[in-house]
Amino acid sequence: MPIEVRKLSHIYNEDTTLQMAALNEISTSIQDGEMLALIGETGSGKSTFVQHLNALLLPTSGELQIDDRIIRANEKATQLKSLRKKVGLVFQFPEYQLFEETILKDIAFGPKNFGVSEEEANQLAAKYIQVVGLDLSYLEKSPFECSGGEKRRIAIAGILAMDPDILVFDEPTAGLDPKGAKDMMELFRELNQKYHKTIILVSHDMEHVMNYCDRVIVLNKGKILKDCSVKEFFKESDLLYQLNIDPPSILKLKDALRAKGFQIDDDALTLESVAACIKKEVRS
Amino acid sequence: MAKIEVRDCVFSYDDKIDAVKGISFDVQEGSYTTIIGHNGSGKSTIAKLLIGLLEKKSGSIRIDGMELNEENLYDIRDKIGIVFQNPDNQFIGATVADDIAFGLENHQVDPSKMDEIIQEYAKRVSMSEFLAHEPTRLSGGQKQRVAIAGILAMQPEIIIFDEATSMLDPQGKKEINELIYELHEKNHLTILSITHDIEEAVKSDYVIVLDDGKVIMAGKPEDVLMHQKEMIDLKLDIPFALKAVNELKKQGIQIKDTITIEGLVEEICRLK
Ligand SMILES: Nc1ncnc2c1ncn2[C@@H]1O[C@H](COP(=O)(O)OP(=O)(O)OP(=O)(O)O)[C@@H](O)[C@H]1O
Ligand SMILES: Nc1ncnc2c1ncn2[C@@H]1O[C@H](COP(=O)(O)OP(=O)(O)OP(=O)(O)O)[C@@H](O)[C@H]1O
Ligand SMILES: [Mg+2]
Ligand SMILES: [Mg+2]
Repeated sequence: MPIEVRKLSHIYNEDTTLQMAALNEISTSIQDGEMLALIGETGSGKSTFVQHLNALLLPTSGELQIDDRIIRANEKATQLKSLRKKVGLVFQFPEYQLFEETILKDIAFGPKNFGVSEEEANQLAAKYIQVVGLDLSYLEKSPFECSGGEKRRIAIAGILAMDPDILVFDEPTAGLDPKGAKDMMELFRELNQKYHKTIILVSHDMEHVMNYCDRVIVLNKGKILKDCSVKEFFKESDLLYQLNIDPPSILKLKDALRAKGFQIDDDALTLESVAACIKKEVRS
Repeated sequence: MAKIEVRDCVFSYDDKIDAVKGISFDVQEGSYTTIIGHNGSGKSTIAKLLIGLLEKKSGSIRIDGMELNEENLYDIRDKIGIVFQNPDNQFIGATVADDIAFGLENHQVDPSKMDEIIQEYAKRVSMSEFLAHEPTRLSGGQKQRVAIAGILAMQPEIIIFDEATSMLDPQGKKEINELIYELHEKNHLTILSITHDIEEAVKSDYVIVLDDGKVIMAGKPEDVLMHQKEMIDLKLDIPFALKAVNELKKQGIQIKDTITIEGLVEEICRLK
């Protein structure tokens, strides 16, 4: 079943001098099995939006529907536990997600909470710590005695271990080393393609959006400014410049070459295809 | 002149495994130096050693020619500003304005000038509208902007950025980079930036590569970042331009190795 978002608004500090309309009547739907990128400038409402998907924040007005659960203003969401099992969210700052004294307990917490036996939960922890690129020796460490990138990996492992159908990642590769970031994106793709998980990714990294996602939603001041396929989105860099988005390096290269009189196909979005265009125009 | 001089520095969190295993490097005065390295390689630990937040087991650290020790810890901290990986860890004030003011007070800035300085730096990071807001209740990128403004306002001689722009949108990154470069030129600011962004390393003056608590390579970006195999083995990336060079070579075009897009375009034009 798709996620339906109907006229969702969220206002922080309503009726005070600090009032801030972070989301302004957003409507959209997200189908099962999509790999969607949510982008937009600082403060545009991305983190606010994703926190509604598992009812960490409730709408000021409007509603969301996920399966038969409705998340609505001023109404205690029912079936909260099953919602949190359905939708896993990794926060922008992973620290706020870690709380147990060992990493083992931290990762095992979610599955146990959803009725998995202790032994099985521990096995899941052992599996997922390795899935995120850390070895078993980490399990006995405290999550607070880890580096920034290690904390991010542990937070991701904790959510993966719950095996939710919808996975929401708020800037999951910030703080990961380049290999870690690539491995993580490949993992998300596998979860999407092989296990049909719905993946919602908040990111400022256009390389990841271009290379891994199918659809892009651009938020701007709490509204949806653009909603289209990734292919269409990256076809022209003009739109990206208009939206103050730093184009992926490949588009910068194409623009620089065109400025020098090279003919490069619009559709060429990989190094291989751009190199082929260059090859046609240079002497070998 | 070396603004920061680290020699044979060793540090351990638990007395069992050393997180920093005998590190030596220099950061030249007025340079833009980057530190890159895999997760857990010891980057943040080094940053904390440099400001005396952690105490080394052995070795020496000299800032501006002064040995870092208990006696001159506060003199040295006056010279260095650090922006942490998680900005929440450094907010003290209840509002954005208070938070910037707090750092200024600590640096004995003339109270009559304070308001002006706060306004100026908030404006430079596009946070003027948020001066009355609580710093911990902002978006991720807004928090990073405030943390950076607070440090820049103190006008330190050295700034350490620990992945301080990792959550900024590209426009924000550009704005902040311009501001940093401006201060770098104008005030001869020394910058030590810990980053996972290889393209940032490409643009820096000097790159230090860490692996498992050790410095494994250091030098100019065009020397260090050309070591493709090593970079990949160290869980790092190679610059985009070099990837393009590889692809062109694969398709039979002979072209010189380069790490910048401008350099690459120049080389391609030469072949036309
Ligand atoms: N807890 C909060 N209390 C009050 N205002 C908030 C809170 N969290 C966010 N805001 C405000 O709501 C707006 C949207 O913030 P949000 O965190 O959703 O942005 P974002 O798109 O995730 O930005 P970023 O890319 O910087 O993380 C911002 O103007 C922010 O200052
Ligand atoms: N407070 C702590 N207590 C014990 N061990 C720690 C602590 N902080 C970090 N470590 C360990 O020390 C090593 C170096 O950590 P450090 O934070 O310096 O890495 P880093 O290079 O900054 O990594 P990242 O890119 O992930 O931020 C890691 O193995 C980490 O697990
Ligand atoms: Mg956010
Ligand atoms: Mg770190």
